[in-house]
Amino acid sequence: MATATDQLVGFGLVAFSLVLFVYYTLWIIVLPFIDSDHGIHQYFLAREYAVIIPVVAGLLLLLFIGVFIMIVMWKSRKPAKKSD
Amino acid sequence: MTKLGQWLCGLALLGSAWAALALAPPGLQVPTPLRQALLPLPVYLLVAFGCYSLATVGYRLATFNDCEEAAAELQEHIRAARADLARRGLRFGPQ
Repeated sequence: MATATDQLVGFGLVAFSLVLFVYYTLWIIVLPFIDSDHGIHQYFLAREYAVIIPVVAGLLLLLFIGVFIMIVMWKSRKPAKKSD
Repeated sequence: MTKLGQWLCGLALLGSAWAALALAPPGLQVPTPLRQALLPLPVYLLVAFGCYSLATVGYRLATFNDCEEAAAELQEHIRAARADLARRGLRFGPQ
């Protein structure tokens, strides 16, 4: 059996990605087919954000990965030889 | 054809199908709600794939089982190796 923390984190990730998938599917695919005076539209932002938010999140992810690699490479550099 | 070539061909096919419908060439009438749902489709597929990956990682993390027998066997191997090396004269530092 995985430890309790592992199970909690693991199933938490599953639940989070399920909620995200359902919300995003509703937003992108279902909402265009629903009349604009239905109450469900109040729970969703304007449609442009459905593209902007994932793109910005992806760029932030790349930024963090790049910064992480930079830090690791910086820490593991050997001291330069002295030259005369 | 390599696997990469196959994936690229499939992607090119789907990409051109999407572009053909989304860029609204003259002479093609797509109903408005369908077009509204079609335009963000590449971003949607990317996000869906990301959600699937996250869920798979989380599920495998939660259901990963201990291997009691393998752990015990490994400890036995370590003990036997230490005894053997000590017999041959290797001194072990503090554990």
